[in-house]
Amino acid sequence: MSEQVRIIEKKKIPSGATLIFGFPDVGLVGVIAASHLMDELNLTEVAYLDSTLLPPLIVLHEGLPHSSIRIFADSNILLAISEAPLPADVIYPIMDALIDWGKSKNVKMMISLSGIPIQDRQDAKELKAFAAASSPEALKIAQDKDIEILMEGYMVGPQAIMLQRAANAGTPALTLLAQCFSNYPDPEAAAEVLKELGKITGVRVDVAKLLEKGEEIRLKARDVMKRTQEEMSKMKKGQEYDIPIYVS
Amino acid sequence: MAIRRRPSISDIIDEYFADLEEWVERFGETITERPSWNLRNCSIEPLREIVVTPTEVLITVDLPFTSKSTVKVEPVSKNSLEISAKMNRKIRLDDLGVTHCKGEFQTFHCHIRIPVPVKMDKMDIQYKKGILEIHLPRKH
Repeated sequence: MSEQVRIIEKKKIPSGATLIFGFPDVGLVGVIAASHLMDELNLTEVAYLDSTLLPPLIVLHEGLPHSSIRIFADSNILLAISEAPLPADVIYPIMDALIDWGKSKNVKMMISLSGIPIQDRQDAKELKAFAAASSPEALKIAQDKDIEILMEGYMVGPQAIMLQRAANAGTPALTLLAQCFSNYPDPEAAAEVLKELGKITGVRVDVAKLLEKGEEIRLKARDVMKRTQEEMSKMKKGQEYDIPIYVS
Repeated sequence: MAIRRRPSISDIIDEYFADLEEWVERFGETITERPSWNLRNCSIEPLREIVVTPTEVLITVDLPFTSKSTVKVEPVSKNSLEISAKMNRKIRLDDLGVTHCKGEFQTFHCHIRIPVPVKMDKMDIQYKKGILEIHLPRKH
């Protein structure tokens, strides 16, 4: 693990759990989904990330300082959430540190929750979800659960690096992506991605409350969404719209 | 070759102020960051997006807790719009997790500058699931 990125453990970390990532990205799908998961499963904070590479920012909760990137857990799940967008230039070292740490805890799988923007999202009656995987075996896990595969294209952001690094490390990993708004917080897409997560992990959470609180989430998440847009633009997130060129 | 009309004094002044306004909007925000809420006029700034296509400018605005009947879209010049919408409930700052000052809001408000010439009189407005859509055909 890089010396500039440390993961500080506060409690005993379960071995062999599934490591889930919910980081700010399009529609804030991953963060909204992860926050709901944390509430519904009553997960407790077990570790946090400390890094001099991150902006000088802490998150205050009840008057006390917290890292913006924290890991919550129960006996089966490790959930890494970031309450602030990852600066584009530190995604590699941060994700490397988290993946190395996950490997040291013998995680059985890594799953990143995110979104895939669609045009005219407000007209969509049903949102589809897709998966991409780190290996043919991991891909089969999604296919066996009838999750549509994102066959071709570009992926940009923490979830892209997670898949690539997990592939290198031989750890099974999936990225689940629900169709969403690009620049507006999308609780409906977060609900959709949680349904897919349930199919893979067996961890099913009631999303009714999430949908009920949809407007409140959209209002509260405005500022994080705006900051995330700035970082997405720096990391050339728009490249995900590009038509791929294939060399075979 | 097409002959270009010489710009009039008023065109030059308009262009100067448009550039100045754009500069203030772009650099003012980055130099002195300000909150997305304004206690003086009790309003919150909504998230919005502007897409320029070959035929139109599409503006969308995220307006949770509003209904179509309270949304107002008013052209304030040939290249800018003022948008406001009343929320169906009052939002206190502490509802949003801001506890160091007091205040409440019930309105979204923003000013949008349109980057290319458009036909303001042909503006079409739609509202779907709390998302305001403004279609403005482009002038060519």
